Amino acid sequence: MKKIGRAFYAYMSETMKGTSKAFYVFIAVLGVVFLWGSYNWFLMLTRGHGLSGLSDAVPWGIFISGLALFIGLSAGATIVGLLIHGFGREDYAPMGTRAILLALLCIFGATQFVLVDLGVPLRGLKVPWILHNPTSIFLLSSSSYYVFMVILSGELYYTIKTTLGKASHRDEKIAKWLGILAVPYALWVVHAFTGSIFGVVKAREMWNTPILPVHFVISALASGFALVILVAILTSKIQKKELLSAETYDHMGKLLAFFVLVTIFLDFFDHFIIKYSAKKEAVEVWEILTSRYAPVFALNISGLIAAFIILLFKKGRTTKGLLVATILTLLAVLAYRIYLISVGQLVPLYPGMGELYYHPTFTEISVALGLIALLTFLYLVLSKILPMEEKYHRKQIIDKRR
Amino acid sequence: MKILDRRKFIKLAAVAGAGVFIPRAVGGALEQLTGTLKSPGGNKYVPPPIPDVKFGMVIDLGLCIGCRRCMYACKRENNVPDTISPPYIMIFETESPVGVTGHFLSPEIPGKGTTMFYQKLRKDKWYMPVQCNHCDKAPCVEVCPTKASYTDPDGFVLIDYSKCIGCRYCMTACPYNARRFNWWEPEIPPDRINPLVPIRKHGVVEKCTFCVHRTRRGMTTRCVEVCPNRARTFGDFNNPKSEVSRLIRAERNFRLKEELNTKPRIWYLTRPKKKRMVWYRPLPPPTGIRGVRL
Repeated sequence: MKKIGRAFYAYMSETMKGTSKAFYVFIAVLGVVFLWGSYNWFLMLTRGHGLSGLSDAVPWGIFISGLALFIGLSAGATIVGLLIHGFGREDYAPMGTRAILLALLCIFGATQFVLVDLGVPLRGLKVPWILHNPTSIFLLSSSSYYVFMVILSGELYYTIKTTLGKASHRDEKIAKWLGILAVPYALWVVHAFTGSIFGVVKAREMWNTPILPVHFVISALASGFALVILVAILTSKIQKKELLSAETYDHMGKLLAFFVLVTIFLDFFDHFIIKYSAKKEAVEVWEILTSRYAPVFALNISGLIAAFIILLFKKGRTTKGLLVATILTLLAVLAYRIYLISVGQLVPLYPGMGELYYHPTFTEISVALGLIALLTFLYLVLSKILPMEEKYHRKQIIDKRR
Repeated sequence: MKILDRRKFIKLAAVAGAGVFIPRAVGGALEQLTGTLKSPGGNKYVPPPIPDVKFGMVIDLGLCIGCRRCMYACKRENNVPDTISPPYIMIFETESPVGVTGHFLSPEIPGKGTTMFYQKLRKDKWYMPVQCNHCDKAPCVEVCPTKASYTDPDGFVLIDYSKCIGCRYCMTACPYNARRFNWWEPEIPPDRINPLVPIRKHGVVEKCTFCVHRTRRGMTTRCVEVCPNRARTFGDFNNPKSEVSRLIRAERNFRLKEELNTKPRIWYLTRPKKKRMVWYRPLPPPTGIRGVRL
């Protein structure tokens, strides 16, 4: 036991060598935010979920938006995996392990967002195993998240083995095929069925459209890839080294531009048909979107268009332009997730119900921020501890031998 | 003099904190895992289904006077805490008679002060009571991930409170806004508790049960019992001689949101206005409704 402890300490002290003070301070801040969030969740569990801004008329809020957003963000790994293993773009390799780690944490975060939303969370843990209803989309989606977590963990394990240079030929092949197989699985099962959670609800005019699963897949690709690019840029800025070449950034920018363009296309037709059909509920959806939710709606549309315009130019596909474009894309997709969930429910089911409202409370936002802090914390620490790049570690090994 | 050094203090604080938080947390955790400690939804409260019977309700809109007595009686009967609002039954005031499509006009919710029209029947207003429709093809039952919501063969859509995880998917899926979530730990005065109905815990979803504890024991629902103008009728649709079957055959009727193909089990009659008062008693005004700006 002592031996393992000592080995762990040695490993930690070696991997954490050279970390600046700012890193520890940032980690401490994240820890405080996480603790504050968990305290607020504890309050919600013991005092009541009435501490959130939800009501019987609007039963789903920012937690479910968080679920949709984080499921979407996990799409980044699938694209990077496909590019590396399927299309042979070896220049993406420095982001390979990071993308998988990001995706794994994002999907973990998404499940945590559901967990904090549940009225009886521990019983909720039984869901795909002991309690299950085959007709529920929640069963399909939740079990698909668990399977996706297993696939990503396998990918991560074998990729790290490859990175460390300990992998056999078979291991490398497994990593490759997991990376390729994850693509249809993630797009078909994980993202499309997350969209179907809302798409199958015939009671809500805004959700009940066959475009929604497709929309979720495409906006997941846009936001997930944007997150990978953002992390690549930030990592190279902070660690002061070139992770990816300028040519790779250019290629990334082009791909992101394509995803953003398709998202704009789907967004346009989704809202165009809502506006044009002029059903009673559709009119109300449009009214809420353009009045109370106008800022969020505008953030989605303008953010996507601005990101696309930036990405059109060759200068926009450098690190600086990409930094702005990815942040805009992420904000736009976040805005879409927020207003899709809220406005979908804010349309009264009976004309006589009066004006429904949903304002997320401080407690609710604290819990959400706490979860995001936890994910950031886990990413920062794990990306430090786990070997992320082949070259870096090979060089270290060589240094050690000398 | 130093009574406590730092280490001792931290240890003591940790023990005190654990003493405060852990019992409650462990108790709650155990309860959530086993599920049936305090909120049994089992056979004690829900009698077994009656064979060859299909229950349903008929509401005559010409007779509903908007007194909301059913709302209050339902709350009492079903141990609905005051923290749950609106109650299982909502009543809307409308300007014009309802069309056969089930859509009604003039949005105005009752509750701005008391509206009691017992002596004089209002010819210009119509009242629309809505509650759980106990649909044959209930969307809430389809989407429930745990089978906590289930349909019984005699026409009830019920919830097993020991299986509900509180995900509220059923609430978003219900086109009738019939479901209520226990946002707080329910507090009901002991003298008000109905022993036939379980007390739900914080974190589970509940709704109208068509008073399953009464109807399966041969009684009628509480809302039917208290309606002073006899607007509601409850009965067996499989029996062609029952009152409800006769009403549906004889009168023009509709069901709410039939285009969604949920096959609700509450039929609405559109007969002319009529008064046949049995009795009345004044009622308190309703409280504010969570999530709705009045």
